[in-house]
Amino acid sequence: MGSPEPLEKDSVERTPSQGTRDATEPRIGVFVCHCGSNIAGVVDCVKVRDAAEKLPGVVVARDNKYTCSDLGQEEILKAIKEGDVNRVVIASCSPRLHEPTFRACIQRAGLNPYVLHMVNIREQCSWVHAHEKENATQKAIDLVRMGVSKAARLEPLEAREVPVERAALVVGGGVTGIQSALDLANMGFKVYLVESKPSIGGVMAQLDKTFPTGDCAICILAPKMVELSRNPNIELLSYSEVEEVKGYIGNYDVKVRRKARFVHEDKCVGCGVCTDVCPVKVDNEFDMGFAKRKAIYVPFPQAVPLKYTVDKENCLHFKKGKCQLCVKACTNKAIDHKMEDEVLDFKVGTIIVATGSETYVPMRKGVYKYWEYENVISALELERLLNASGPTGGHLIRPSDKATPKRVAFIQCVGSRNKKIGNNYCSRVCCMYAIKNAQIIKEHEPDTEIAVYYNDIRAFGKGFEELYHRVREEYGVEFFRGRPAKLSEDSATKSITIRAEETLLNKITEREFDLVVLSTGLVPSEGSKRIGKILSITTSPDGFFMEAHPKLRPVDTAADGVFVAGCAQAPKDIPDSVAQAKAAASSAAALMLTGKVRIEPLTVAIDEDLCVGCGLCAELCPYGAPELYESEKGGTKARIIEALCHGCGTCAASCPQKALTAKQFTDEQINSEIVAALTPICGAQKPPQKKNAETEV
Amino acid sequence: MGEVEKTFISGLKEKLVEEKVIDESQLDRDFAKEITKYGGKDVMTCLQCGNCTGVCPISLKIDYKTRSIIKYCQFGLKSYTLGTRWVCATCYRCYEHCPADINPAEVMIALRHIAVREGVIPPFIKVAATNLVRYGQSVKPDEEINKIRNELGLEQVHSSEPSYKKVLREIGVLIHASKYDKLIGIEEEVKI
Amino acid sequence: MTSYAYFFGCVIPNRYPGIEYAVRWVCGKEGFDLDVMDMPEFSCCPVPGIFYSTDKNTWLLLAARNLVLAQEERRDIMTVCNGCLTSLLKATEYLQDPKAMGRVNRVLAQIGKKYTGVPRKTEGRRKVFEPVKVRHYIDVMARDMGLETIASKVKRPLKNITVAVHYGCHYLRPTENQTIDDPNNPVLIDQIVEACGATPVDYEDKLDCCGAGGGVRSHVVDLANSLTEDKCKNISAVGADCIVTGCPFCLLQFDNAQKTFSKDGIPVMHVSQLQALSMGIDPISLGFDTHHVSAHSLLRKLRGA
Repeated sequence: MGSPEPLEKDSVERTPSQGTRDATEPRIGVFVCHCGSNIAGVVDCVKVRDAAEKLPGVVVARDNKYTCSDLGQEEILKAIKEGDVNRVVIASCSPRLHEPTFRACIQRAGLNPYVLHMVNIREQCSWVHAHEKENATQKAIDLVRMGVSKAARLEPLEAREVPVERAALVVGGGVTGIQSALDLANMGFKVYLVESKPSIGGVMAQLDKTFPTGDCAICILAPKMVELSRNPNIELLSYSEVEEVKGYIGNYDVKVRRKARFVHEDKCVGCGVCTDVCPVKVDNEFDMGFAKRKAIYVPFPQAVPLKYTVDKENCLHFKKGKCQLCVKACTNKAIDHKMEDEVLDFKVGTIIVATGSETYVPMRKGVYKYWEYENVISALELERLLNASGPTGGHLIRPSDKATPKRVAFIQCVGSRNKKIGNNYCSRVCCMYAIKNAQIIKEHEPDTEIAVYYNDIRAFGKGFEELYHRVREEYGVEFFRGRPAKLSEDSATKSITIRAEETLLNKITEREFDLVVLSTGLVPSEGSKRIGKILSITTSPDGFFMEAHPKLRPVDTAADGVFVAGCAQAPKDIPDSVAQAKAAASSAAALMLTGKVRIEPLTVAIDEDLCVGCGLCAELCPYGAPELYESEKGGTKARIIEALCHGCGTCAASCPQKALTAKQFTDEQINSEIVAALTPICGAQKPPQKKNAETEV
Repeated sequence: MGEVEKTFISGLKEKLVEEKVIDESQLDRDFAKEITKYGGKDVMTCLQCGNCTGVCPISLKIDYKTRSIIKYCQFGLKSYTLGTRWVCATCYRCYEHCPADINPAEVMIALRHIAVREGVIPPFIKVAATNLVRYGQSVKPDEEINKIRNELGLEQVHSSEPSYKKVLREIGVLIHASKYDKLIGIEEEVKI
Repeated sequence: MTSYAYFFGCVIPNRYPGIEYAVRWVCGKEGFDLDVMDMPEFSCCPVPGIFYSTDKNTWLLLAARNLVLAQEERRDIMTVCNGCLTSLLKATEYLQDPKAMGRVNRVLAQIGKKYTGVPRKTEGRRKVFEPVKVRHYIDVMARDMGLETIASKVKRPLKNITVAVHYGCHYLRPTENQTIDDPNNPVLIDQIVEACGATPVDYEDKLDCCGAGGGVRSHVVDLANSLTEDKCKNISAVGADCIVTGCPFCLLQFDNAQKTFSKDGIPVMHVSQLQALSMGIDPISLGFDTHHVSAHSLLRKLRGA
């Protein structure tokens, strides 16, 4: 994301300041949690409490069986009131788990929620030192001493709120994007759906049937596509690309380029007269090149929007400057070869990325001879050949002689689970679509011999294993465990011989087939890579977008307000994609429904006098929070856009001028922790001076 | 391995072999680690897909399966790998095709390292090493060829020049320093 | 201009002196006139099937010794053999690791040698070293000389001759670190053959192994020969006049194995010999009498052309 406008002070609502007491004299309360036996089974919590009691500034020290329970929280409230505590240290689990709980707790007692410090004596102590109890206790004491030392230096902070625009951007018009857009629109939010192709529908529109139930893919998708086009809340921007996104959660400024389709969408009625007269024939990408289309076309009959598009690459008007047959034929005067790209600007509060995936393209000169042998096809090509509305009307043929293949082989894991090409992951759909297609072939032509060369069959979903069994038992599809090593073509018959080690037989076999289908895996789409850069959302090593937490925040990204769903996040099947689409829609809706979002005050503060405007912080920040500007006092300075700042501290650690300070992680606080760690126990140490701290470190 | 003879009701005579089950005593748990010590990759990452066997020119000819060898290595069935250590042609086709990015050819080479250290040394190793120590080359110079070299006007391979002696001495020193002479039993050849 | 050092290895000088003559002739005054010198102190590379297979430490020491000789002369090693190429190339890669280099140098000190790599430039006070460059004859010819130059030196184009090229495994694989050619679709030898006026023909399983490598020929010769038989069947199927390879060990295997399964056999020669023929050398100097498969049929066809 580029550099958005900084938050204006006026637009920020401040939460009413909590009545913090006199903060000059730290009065610290320490609470040591047993966590049942999770901590107390290893660490002597009473000993830790006793040690904490003697630390400077500590007025109350308690140990609890479960600090997070109602009883435990009551005790904290009581201690705060009785001991007039103004800083709280809780020695328990990771702050990731219960920090919000305890912040709310001390807020109830009238303290600022940010004068809390959590010491992790579970994950970082008792769990990892289960076999050395005494040392673990000592470490827990050390950790608490460090925590107390830091707590004495905690400052109260104020959380801030920003408004959220009640509109969403959905990028990608496959089944995931369609579902997300519909859900949000049905909840009453304005949705902009951007799709780069002339029609929405994505890969699902190309498929024949879906596993495991055998529903026709386009038959279940087309009604959704139509519903989407009719929904007044949805603005469908097909044949468009997202060019730029600026801003932060709740307030994104989006720029979308509407590519010229040379047909006015408002005038075109989709009658198709233009395509009848067009003299140019080219391969139809939608049918994987098995059929032809004209230079003015809709990719498939159920396309949404049903508006024609001129293919600039092939149109005679653009190539040779003449023709114009379509223009003459169109009664509505919808075709306009002079049309130009338009740029659209709008504002949204949330973004859902549903840019999907592409199928892996086998290597040239590779083992599977995809480019050399006609009768080696990819799985998506097979889908078109099996599809009733496909180029052959659903009749399976082999490309070399258009004959019906009698022997068909599937080769699994092409482009997946292969460290050599860097695709280490399982694509999750190939096993099942191969099994499903085997079933369809058998239903069409029961005499066909079908063999599946596999490494492992992963039939993990609902009804998947049952389908796997059915094709083995009822349809007699053969499964060979082994990765084919060599494919060779009979020059006369164009049949393919596969050599593979049948690993369960422990023999090398050579078998001849009429048609070989490569079960190609899924790879991140080109669109994903582009949008990833624009939104600066991170990807996993496999190239798919990284979710904020693999289990608990599966559709969130590191960028707040940006969600990811479907195959853009990882390869998945249709049910999983739809489920994620709904999850992303509901997460986005939750933000927009509240209309405002709280921003953690754990950000970075900047001392403008120290800043020399070197720009290192702007370069290093993974969230694009620092921006450079010309100061009124003169010279370039950096400032932090708080809504973008995650408080990671990368900039503060690297600032050569020490102009940046990460709140709650100030140099002084961290140094005091280090000093406390190095100071022997029970020494009645004075709170160290800042200077001392630095010299000692 | 004891054998039991049993007559079936149908009259079929079958020799039943005892100990068809591999018990844990036959497994060498550290075998995979030993292989990595000699430069092989971790065999435990093998998926057992059989691609290596399919592309192996040797597997097409004799009862040798690259995948099986890797499996034996995973299990630590050291004795099962004995007979096949020296048939790999190190053509590296298995490596080129392996989806788990293991280098089976390097595993075979690691197995050879292990074999040599257990005293399994095929004669050609000794011959080649002896040639190297004696002539500085692994192929023994041939009288006939030397004549032809003479006719072609090429210099003799094996000369008695002092510089050549220096080469042989250096080779001897290096082989002795790495204890290779002792490893394959050619100590008497190495004179320093 | 790059300067090279000949590295003939063991098989060529002791079994196929004709190749050595051809290489010297092609690189010499009559041919490309390269800046290339003899290094009589080179020993065996050492052969990967023996030393790399049984003790990598010894292998690295012996290979490093050869590399040091080239390093002292500041020359690129020009090998004429795939085995020498893979052995020396791999050694330079192993020696990139400072620890390995240290270990090797501690031993090399006993013979007064030290491997550092070749100093290429100086950055401030620090010298930047690059590993000793190990090149294959084919690489030098096709890349440094260029196909056009090769074609321009041809005096007697080898018309009517169809050639089955055998690249050899260690020319192509492993691709872990670096390769001279596309391992799935190698072209250099074919291009040289074409530049010499002959016609390269493709055949089934072109990139397969000759069968000799890794000590298989020495250990189980029948197995090695049966692999060669497969290759030769595929080569005869396309009716090639001769087999051309860049590796003397593959050549030795083709040459020796063919007598076990066929009467006449297909003549085998090294790229350099083919090149020398096209450049008008007297075939007598190519030492074809040391080959087991007679080259008469081929030479007769050449004269006829």
